Amino acid sequence: MICSTWINRFYSFVLIISSTVIFVQSDVPRPRGVSLSKASLYSPTKDFTCFDGTVTIPFSYVNDDYCDCFDGSDEPGTSACLNGVFHCTNAGHRAQNIPSSRVNDGVCDCCDGTDEYAFPNICSNICEELGREARAEAQRLAEIHKAGSHVRLELIEKGNKRRNEMAEQLSQLESDKAEAEKIKSEKEVLKNELESKENEALKVYRDAEEKERQLKAEEEKEKLVKEATEHFIRFDANSDAILTIDEIKVVNAFDKDKDGQVDEEETKYFFGENESVDQDTFISITWPLLKPLLMMEQGMFRPAQAEGEVDQDIEAVDPKEDHDAEDLGIEDDSLDIDLPQDDHEEQEVEQEQHKTYDDDTQKLVDDATEARRQLTDAERTVREIESNIRNIKENLEKDYGLLQEWATLDGQCLEYEDKEYIYKLCLFQKVTQKSKNGGSEVSLGSWGEWAGSDNKYSAMKYTNGMGCWNGPNRMTIVNINCGLETKLLSVTEPFRCEYKIELETPAACDDSNATQNQSSHDEL
Amino acid sequence: MSESGLIDVFVFMGDQPSDVFRQYTTLTGSAPIPPKFSLAYHQCRWNYVDEADVRSVDDNFDVHDIPADVIWLDIEYTDRKKYFTWDVEKFPHPAEMVANLTAKGRKLVAIIDPHIKREAGYFLHEDATEKGYYVKDKDGKDYEGWCWPGSSSYLDFFNPEASKYYSERYKFENFPGTSNDVHIWNDMNEPSIQHHEQNRGRNLSKRHVHNEYGLWNIRATHQGMLDRSDNKYRPFILTRSAFAGTQRFAAVWTGDNAAEWGHLAASLPMCLSLSLAGISFCGADVGGFFKYPEAELMTRWYQAGAFQPFFRAHSHIETKRREPWLYEPSTTALIRDANRRRYALIDFWYTLFYEHSKDGLPVMRPLFQHYPKEEATFTIDDQYLLGDKLLVRPVTSAGATSVKVYFPGTESNTLWYDVDSYQARVAAGYANIDVTLAKIPVYQRGGSIIPRKERVRRSSLLMADDPYTLVVALDSNNTASGSLYIDDGETYEYKKKKYIYAKISYTTEEMTYSFVNDKATYPTQSWVERIVIAGIKVPPKTAKLHQGDKQTALQMTLHRGNDVLVVRKPAATMAQPWKITFSY
Repeated sequence: MICSTWINRFYSFVLIISSTVIFVQSDVPRPRGVSLSKASLYSPTKDFTCFDGTVTIPFSYVNDDYCDCFDGSDEPGTSACLNGVFHCTNAGHRAQNIPSSRVNDGVCDCCDGTDEYAFPNICSNICEELGREARAEAQRLAEIHKAGSHVRLELIEKGNKRRNEMAEQLSQLESDKAEAEKIKSEKEVLKNELESKENEALKVYRDAEEKERQLKAEEEKEKLVKEATEHFIRFDANSDAILTIDEIKVVNAFDKDKDGQVDEEETKYFFGENESVDQDTFISITWPLLKPLLMMEQGMFRPAQAEGEVDQDIEAVDPKEDHDAEDLGIEDDSLDIDLPQDDHEEQEVEQEQHKTYDDDTQKLVDDATEARRQLTDAERTVREIESNIRNIKENLEKDYGLLQEWATLDGQCLEYEDKEYIYKLCLFQKVTQKSKNGGSEVSLGSWGEWAGSDNKYSAMKYTNGMGCWNGPNRMTIVNINCGLETKLLSVTEPFRCEYKIELETPAACDDSNATQNQSSHDEL
Repeated sequence: MSESGLIDVFVFMGDQPSDVFRQYTTLTGSAPIPPKFSLAYHQCRWNYVDEADVRSVDDNFDVHDIPADVIWLDIEYTDRKKYFTWDVEKFPHPAEMVANLTAKGRKLVAIIDPHIKREAGYFLHEDATEKGYYVKDKDGKDYEGWCWPGSSSYLDFFNPEASKYYSERYKFENFPGTSNDVHIWNDMNEPSIQHHEQNRGRNLSKRHVHNEYGLWNIRATHQGMLDRSDNKYRPFILTRSAFAGTQRFAAVWTGDNAAEWGHLAASLPMCLSLSLAGISFCGADVGGFFKYPEAELMTRWYQAGAFQPFFRAHSHIETKRREPWLYEPSTTALIRDANRRRYALIDFWYTLFYEHSKDGLPVMRPLFQHYPKEEATFTIDDQYLLGDKLLVRPVTSAGATSVKVYFPGTESNTLWYDVDSYQARVAAGYANIDVTLAKIPVYQRGGSIIPRKERVRRSSLLMADDPYTLVVALDSNNTASGSLYIDDGETYEYKKKKYIYAKISYTTEEMTYSFVNDKATYPTQSWVERIVIAGIKVPPKTAKLHQGDKQTALQMTLHRGNDVLVVRKPAATMAQPWKITFSY
């Protein structure tokens, strides 16, 4: 059906070739279904030995519609052997090998109709027609390849240019980085210097603070000992400076479970294995256990243990939430690494600023703060350059084809609409799908690798898209063919969650490929 | 399950298990001869998404040289679950799609469920509403349930008018794109309804008729398919709901199973039970409907399915695609081999179903049917017999290197021949049999003759005229017998004596192929290309074919340990009786 003017040109050419073939064919007699290349293996004057060498039969058994050879080689022209092969010459078009089971089954498989010799009327020889169409198609493709390769040359040129630019950018960035690192270390030195001065000045304040803290702690302790001693004396009914089990048995406070009596378990709780405690032991061990109970009795206090239990319960009930929180935390970190550090430092600074220092100290603090800020800025600059370097290196490492013909297509986005969805392919980046009825974009995969089988640049694979309900992550295969412009021809989902895109682009055009195609069609 | 009403109890007094089975099918009916293609391999999925998908699946069977007869379309082919319509975007040219299949002898099966979408403008809904064909609720209003299409109502098949209306929907003019090569799957016909409440059809409580609804559904489908071809072609229908008598109209599959070893194993007792209950045309979804079968399970399931009456692979829409060629080439090769085994035996299956239509006995049989004196057979449900000739023991566990097989017939010294090696075992109860991934134990009983067609083609139809290989497995008396049924495979012409039903017998003196009914003939092009005689003790010196007035000397070769004799190309035509005489 794909007819155009140059078919006629082709036609005469084909006629010459096919008449030659007919001549060749009639020149070499061979059993039905045998290819020219295997004709010499079938000699009518000799017994026939199966190709696998296992059986030798009279030549009259060849093509006698009974399978004698395990490898099927005695019945190339009949359906007798399940593993046999029938060769059709298909003069005017491509030759073909078909399974023997397709011989005389009423279905025309060979365009020359030779596979249905038992039914002479059902298949006509359509090889000329098909061959013509195939050649026209090959010619059409060749034209496209030819025209497309001009565009491809431009792409190659641009691609190389882009790569060179990137390489230049990279070396520029490398020197920027060196510069930035130098600044960074200068700032660091400055910061350390100023900070040590700051520390020195602040030491006075800190020492004062420390002293105050220690004082407070001692007061606390004294208070505790006093309180404990008072209670000890109160519980020590016989005032022998020893508190015995009998003595505490009459004190309500020791009735931990509030069952009206102080039992053995409770005495053990307070005394351990001891029968009695002296004053020091009481202060250091018994009192800390007893005090919360006393406070509770006075309604001042909820037992710490109980609270702990409640907390544990919450954790046990919803461990998932915790995980989520952790995950989010990790994501935040990766999103902006320097944020938490900044926060931390700023908080510290703020705290310190609340305090009032003398003017000299305040100046040192301000200088140190400024030095810290400058260092942070310098560090950020380095990180930014490093990230740019990473990106460029990544791009430079990407396989943009043998001649960089794909380099300028990186990041180019192409759309395709069907009844329900809009698909978007951003080359070397990602594939997405969006419903026309709204809803969010669904990832059908991110750039994975080249995935063509013969020529790896004939297909791309985008992997690890959004997970399918009850299934795998979505992925997309992009099949690439030569075309005059870069566009999507179709998007389908042949397998669940595995999408297939047909892409046309001049980057895939190849002049030499075109001539190859042409010649293979002329082969007979 | 019976929730209300009266239960009729029948007691069958038969002596032997076979007598009871026969008496039961005398009461409830036996399956008529199915169209031959339906005994071949079916490829199904929820869903083949569009015409290009159907074409590609069809083509891939040929690319990978795997025989297949039927491609199935599940609910997504319809215009938004409105049955008797097509999704015009995805299936704009159904007739051409079917023609592509039939060009290779293949068929299409399309699903028609009994729930009717309640949508204004849908002819079926509007007709049924207007004419009062829907099942009513307790207040006399059209009952509304919920199924695939959303809000749905259900045709009242107990109303003859409604049934007639439904049958007429199957006419080609009412269901454009269909033809005699399109057959029907009635799913969800229990009926499957999400919201369940008391509903009544014409003064019948649902409790009374629930079990029968599906039967009346497929009956109306069956009638519609007969009418659409003026009673010329045999319909094939697959149903999920089954009741006593279902076998007269449809094949039954075991419903929505999963890709699990346990579900593969369960397919045997399930189909054996259905078989005893009159429903011989039974199968389970090969590969499992839910979940994804890994290569070994898939291989074993194909090997098992190839020896079960209804042989269809199916899968859920949410699962990974699993057509045979989507596995590693080594697995695809094993699946190809399993399918080829099925096709090689297609005429054996067809003969079994013919015989079932006559004698009402199961096609797939428990061992105790033929060996009722052997108590061990009473509980065996992981192996079975096909007819009284093949003993089948599918492998239903992972990593099996050997399985236990029970060889019945100890008392009568029955011989069982491995169908691959022709090596015979004398029956002696249980034995451990080695298996590989390529093999499940299948044995031919000594004393039987089985017809095979070894030129496996793309579809069973394309094999119709192909020659036979007759496998004669000798018993200890050096005799064997079998049968063969041949007709056009698709019409009711057999009722006009256009068929061959032949007995094949072998004794040391002669082998005969004779017609049980002389008046019944069929002009088959088939012939005998090979006779394999396994277990021969003294090979004959000469063999001579007698057919009509002609006598032809035949060639023979001995194989294996000189106990397998192959008669080379007798070329006797199967359209006429023949005889081969042997001399020693």
